[in-house]
Amino acid sequence: MRKLTLNGINKVFLTHPDREVFALDNIDLSINEGEFIALIGPTGCGKTTLLRIIAGLENASSGEILLDGQPVADLNRISTLIFQQYSLFPWYNVIENITFPMEMKGLRKAERRRRAEELIQLVGLQGTEKAAPYELSGGMQQRVAIARALAHDPEVLLMDEPFGALDERTRHRLQTVLLEIWKRKGKTILFVTHNIDEALFLADRIIVMGTEPGRVVEDWHISLKRPRNRLADDFTQLHLKIRNVLEIT
Amino acid sequence: MLSERSANNGTARKISHTLQSLILPISFLVLWELIAVWAANPALIPRFTTVLGVLLNPLQELVGTGSLLHNTLVSLFRVVLGFAVSVVVCVPLGIFMGTSKTLHRLVNPLVELFRPLCPIAWIPFAMAVFKTTTVPQLFGVRFTETILDSVQIGMVFIIFWGGLFPILLNTIHGVAGVRGLLLETARVLGADKQKTFWKVVIPAALPDIMTGLRIGLGIAWMVIIAAEMLPGSDSGIGYLIMYAYELAEMQILVAGMIVIGIMGLGLNHGLQLISNRVSNWKALER
Repeated sequence: MRKLTLNGINKVFLTHPDREVFALDNIDLSINEGEFIALIGPTGCGKTTLLRIIAGLENASSGEILLDGQPVADLNRISTLIFQQYSLFPWYNVIENITFPMEMKGLRKAERRRRAEELIQLVGLQGTEKAAPYELSGGMQQRVAIARALAHDPEVLLMDEPFGALDERTRHRLQTVLLEIWKRKGKTILFVTHNIDEALFLADRIIVMGTEPGRVVEDWHISLKRPRNRLADDFTQLHLKIRNVLEIT
Repeated sequence: MLSERSANNGTARKISHTLQSLILPISFLVLWELIAVWAANPALIPRFTTVLGVLLNPLQELVGTGSLLHNTLVSLFRVVLGFAVSVVVCVPLGIFMGTSKTLHRLVNPLVELFRPLCPIAWIPFAMAVFKTTTVPQLFGVRFTETILDSVQIGMVFIIFWGGLFPILLNTIHGVAGVRGLLLETARVLGADKQKTFWKVVIPAALPDIMTGLRIGLGIAWMVIIAAEMLPGSDSGIGYLIMYAYELAEMQILVAGMIVIGIMGLGLNHGLQLISNRVSNWKALER
């Protein structure tokens, strides 16, 4: 079932009064319910801009975004974005960070607490409820960020290179955690990365974007069985294929 | 065995560090006492033990100006009142100026115009305008027989100016400097403008606001001492040391100086403690 539809999204920046830069050129995209999509592409292809538009942090110059076929009035309400940079509120502890979006929605305290405990279990952070962000490692902070995003209960979960600042071991572990969460919660996920391996390990569908103007170059369905083996032949072959496309774009 | 020894070492080191930090202050006091005894001129250098005697009897009536404690309380009360006015005016104004670029453009030229003016330069002006009107008189009450009778509007006005700029500028800095990432995070998590303000902007700016309060209170305490030393003043710790100077009562003068120093330290420390309680995350983050 079609969840999110992007129709003719354009984003034009004026760098000089007379020079227009097409950050995004006529992006059409339809995303199915529960789909895990990786957006991959070189720097400057507009993948982060596209995510920010869907998150409601930026306006498109033209085009429309439909949720379940209906125009969306307030994008902040239907989606949320996890950033690459650590974005926990430093004055709140883990549980207060996770309850934040539920507080914004006006949920009752006991209910917030109950759901937060559930989410803490889900991301594997039992025992850190009272810890402050600065006490946590980068990987743990991103786990909290994921739990907090889920607490917002978005229709679409947007992730902008969320594991980009982590070391490889932690990155792999969090990829597994994320897949587990995706299976359990059935969220629609749009995941920006520049790491081919990460895209292949996670996604049902990989969209390759190109630069100048920012546009969709390839749109592949990845039918590899899960859990995926990064060393299997079909995995590495796809890896090469994507790399070749990225090199010419 | 090993851990026990290292624990003992730790305690020993702590004691030795404490002793090290005490060497110079104690030498200073001993040297002071020796020089005072040698000089044998209490109108020039009072003995430390004499000064200590004054400090240990804070309720004793001093040269017809009230006790040490009374004068300290008068000064403290003036500062607290003036500082409170400063906080009530400057924190909200700073928050508005930090959030609204228009208001900042509107008010900032005035701020920059007055800022270089030392608050002490306002003292003669304040005395000319407010004369000796006290705060109770302002509200039409006379002789309330409380410490409030010693709180002149002019004094409050000067202290207000002392606290004004540190509080205002630090608040603006704190509010305007909230990381964009955290504001965007609040937005994508469904916070509207009002909730973002209370749940993100204020907590993020609080460490800077508290720094402003601490600097402001320090300046207010310095300014009140200067104000009390001017002609026309009739109470307060600044007045006490000036009067002691005129009577050549050096032991009272020095005792007053020590109280001023200790009070300054105490006020700063007190605000630091509050600051650590309400916004310790910034210090711990580093």
